Amino acid sequence: MEHRPPLRGAAALGMLTLAAFVLLAYTPLIGAISRRLDAVPDPGAADAIVVLGAGSARDGVLSDPSLRRFLGGLLLYHRGLAPRLILMGPAYEGSPVEAETRAGLARELGIPASAIVVEGRGLTTRQEAALAASRVRELGGRRVLLVTGAQHIHRARRFFERAGLEVVPAPVTEVSPLAQSPDGRLELARLVIQEGLARLYYRVIGQL
Amino acid sequence: MSDGLYLIGLVALTSGLVWVIGRRGLGLRASAVRPALVRLLEWVGLSVAFYAVNLLVGFLAVLALRRLTSSFISMYLNTDTTLAILSACQALVFQWWRADSE
Repeated sequence: MEHRPPLRGAAALGMLTLAAFVLLAYTPLIGAISRRLDAVPDPGAADAIVVLGAGSARDGVLSDPSLRRFLGGLLLYHRGLAPRLILMGPAYEGSPVEAETRAGLARELGIPASAIVVEGRGLTTRQEAALAASRVRELGGRRVLLVTGAQHIHRARRFFERAGLEVVPAPVTEVSPLAQSPDGRLELARLVIQEGLARLYYRVIGQL
Repeated sequence: MSDGLYLIGLVALTSGLVWVIGRRGLGLRASAVRPALVRLLEWVGLSVAFYAVNLLVGFLAVLALRRLTSSFISMYLNTDTTLAILSACQALVFQWWRADSE
């Protein structure tokens, strides 16, 4: 069937890709990189806990990262680190507003309604930062515990600081750096690479 | 035993079986394995190239759609796993198309 010689450039790229695949999927390399990039100090007290959105389905079921972030925020609230819980997350293509779904869960789990702030308008991290800053200022505060994924926390922190807030990072683990399965390691690699590209993009356009 | 070692061992075992069946049952030439592996590398490389192009075009498309329409499209849409699979299909078709165009 084949007479033409293989494309050498493509074959070389393929070899590099397979080598990267083996390193990322079958060795602990990506876990070590992730731990090095994502190390943050223990969270301290703040005026509010801000939990960033992470997606929900049309029936309102929260995505796994959304639930993990929500749980992270809830734990910080229960530790008494802030008096307010600002829950974020918009509606996605006809889904209920993620922030409202989270607020419903929080009330069911015993968080007083007066402690919950629902902000479901932010579609991007930058918009969420501006909206959260406005809400925190309304509450008379400035210092926030920022809850988002471990890979996302550095970019989010910059946006929140640019919006005028003092940020205490409180990342949650969305994929464990100690994942043993090749699947888990590849998912972690995807998150690390995706976030790296996002940071690069925002640096290039001067927003980070 | 680690998960990775188990999976690599599994694939090595079935590859060995295919080698035996191919050589003894189907009469395939041993010397044809190397070009087949080079074709695999070519396909993987093409898949990555198509994926990169798809990501770049998708990225620009999302930026353009955000500007031109009132609806919001998430940039994360471009990182859906199925885009990688579709890119691999594009690469395979391109590889076969090129081979059959001789």
